[in-house]
Amino acid sequence: MLSFLSARENGTHRPSALSRAEATRRIFSLELSKDRDVQRIHDSGVNTLDIDPVEGRYLLSGGTEGVIVICDLECRPQENYTCPSVCTIGRSSRHVHKYSVDTVQWYSHDTGLFTSSSMDKTLKVWDTNALKPADVFRFETIVYDHNMSSVATKHCLIAVGTIHSQVVLCDLKSGSSTHVLRGHKASVLSVKWSPRDEFLLASGSRDSKIMLWDVRRAKSCLSILDQHNGEKGKGSTEAVNTAHNGHVNGLSFTSDGLYLVSFGTDDRLRLWDTMSGKNTLVNYGKVDNVSRKGSKFTVSYGGSPDVAFVPMGSNIAVFDIYTGEYVATLIGHYNNVNCCTFHPLYQELYSAGNDSNILIWEPELGQKTDVAEKKDNKQSSSTVGNAVQDTWSDED
Amino acid sequence: MKRSKRIVPDVFKKKRKVVVSAGLQSDWGCDQDSILSNLALPNDTKVALDYVKSLLHVEVFEFRIPTIIFKHQIYSIVHNKTTVDRQLEELKEKKVIKMFKLGIAVDEFCIVFTDDYKQHVKRQEPDNKTIDKFLDTVVDRCPDVSLTKSTMINEFCFTDEEITHLVSAGLLTVRDVGSWWLAIPGAGIFMKTFVKGRQSLLRTIRKCKYQEILQKNLEEKKLAAVKKLGMNFHILDIIGAELVKKIQTTSGCLLRLNE
Repeated sequence: MLSFLSARENGTHRPSALSRAEATRRIFSLELSKDRDVQRIHDSGVNTLDIDPVEGRYLLSGGTEGVIVICDLECRPQENYTCPSVCTIGRSSRHVHKYSVDTVQWYSHDTGLFTSSSMDKTLKVWDTNALKPADVFRFETIVYDHNMSSVATKHCLIAVGTIHSQVVLCDLKSGSSTHVLRGHKASVLSVKWSPRDEFLLASGSRDSKIMLWDVRRAKSCLSILDQHNGEKGKGSTEAVNTAHNGHVNGLSFTSDGLYLVSFGTDDRLRLWDTMSGKNTLVNYGKVDNVSRKGSKFTVSYGGSPDVAFVPMGSNIAVFDIYTGEYVATLIGHYNNVNCCTFHPLYQELYSAGNDSNILIWEPELGQKTDVAEKKDNKQSSSTVGNAVQDTWSDED
Repeated sequence: MKRSKRIVPDVFKKKRKVVVSAGLQSDWGCDQDSILSNLALPNDTKVALDYVKSLLHVEVFEFRIPTIIFKHQIYSIVHNKTTVDRQLEELKEKKVIKMFKLGIAVDEFCIVFTDDYKQHVKRQEPDNKTIDKFLDTVVDRCPDVSLTKSTMINEFCFTDEEITHLVSAGLLTVRDVGSWWLAIPGAGIFMKTFVKGRQSLLRTIRKCKYQEILQKNLEEKKLAAVKKLGMNFHILDIIGAELVKKIQTTSGCLLRLNE
């Protein structure tokens, strides 16, 4: 690292080279945090997590009982720190969701607003300070997933995936659903906006297809992603033009928006090139998929190469995105892991599952905190003493 | 001390790659270009294919089958699956190997060297004009796993009669109305022995305490169903198909059954 620091000083390397190298090293050494954890408020499983994109300070979590909790992640440098919960929308609140909350998301520009969608067929837009819903969108069927674009300046659309095969676009400004994207033939399990293009939307459904939409066009569907890239020979005839050989469970764009990672119930991860819509044919091997609803996996940010953190039963499997190599398994949960989210600034992973725990995975680089050493100072100074000093007792 | 041995990519470029200049090799008195021509060096997948081929002894089947290698066996030798896939595609384009779809699972493929395949087909049915025509046109020119009726009739000029003849000879298997998989004639006996051997091996591991066994103990066991194809062949198969997990321990390599 010192060579990189001096190279940055004299201009041989770009400043981003050092930050990328160190971020990659940290991402590849994630371990369960020994000092920090998150206060346990949920009584039942946690379905979804989101970290606010503005400061990276607040963690929003939604549980299977409809409870929504906000925790403050700001770390105090002391041993055994528990991130406290700032506020909770519990079972006693008047506006709480009736059934399980499947997706929560912070508003991308400030923490005054967040959205949550639930099995009680509603999508609620909450005012964080008042903890009351500013708006409620009601649907005819269970809402599986919703997503708001993080780079949008020209629209405030929330894409919603329900049991209905149509993707509904709800507008925050007008308070009603503006239009509907038709194309899928079964429930839509996962929707994601591209972080690169504010009008590009990807949706994955139970009919094994992933569709890319441009919401500006009348016939919005840009393309249906095909796992065989047009070659009919490889699979059976039913598998033609499908993205997976099972339901498409999870979608995640890489941070630059150039690639889309998809997870399916056929136990496969696929990497798609967003610009051409082709399957890059990276082979990740068999990745056990236990979830029959959406699986909220995540892709790291700031490293090269980036890795995907995929919940596999009670563990989280880490794969290098571009080569498909298996990096590690993060073992720590007692029950199925439902969601993971990556903290972009500190290269930490937050994961939660049916055991109601939110675990923090931090980079383990072999560095000890200074606080611990100060406490043992008296004992250590005698052992780590003067090099010339001998250890013979003075009494003899 | 880190308990888990994870391979972190060399981000700070601590290890310098050794670059050997071409000039150094010339004092051996040979032509520089011939030694260092990359085309002559086989890639990892090709070496793996040759190794697996050496494990299988076709004499056991009285030469009724060519040497069949499964794609997932290569995954257990070369660890990066994407590299294996890419190199297999390259070899397919160069017509060195041919890939066939075997089994019910969607992505189970087997690989046969093109020369072996041609030899085997000629041995099965010598002096048959349709088959020779098939070998010269389709096998040589088309790297696909399956064929449709339109391709057969238009591109390769086969008549319906000839197609029926090929199906009865076992070179084509019906997939759908108007499309066929390419197949290996007489591969039935291979598949039967292979499936039996695989089941027997998995049953042995399942019977062990904790459903795991050291690889050297497994190799010492004498199983009748495994004898024909060889223990090494089957072990590569179950590791590659992810039915079993390979764990390095201080007593050697451990194979644990995946649930």
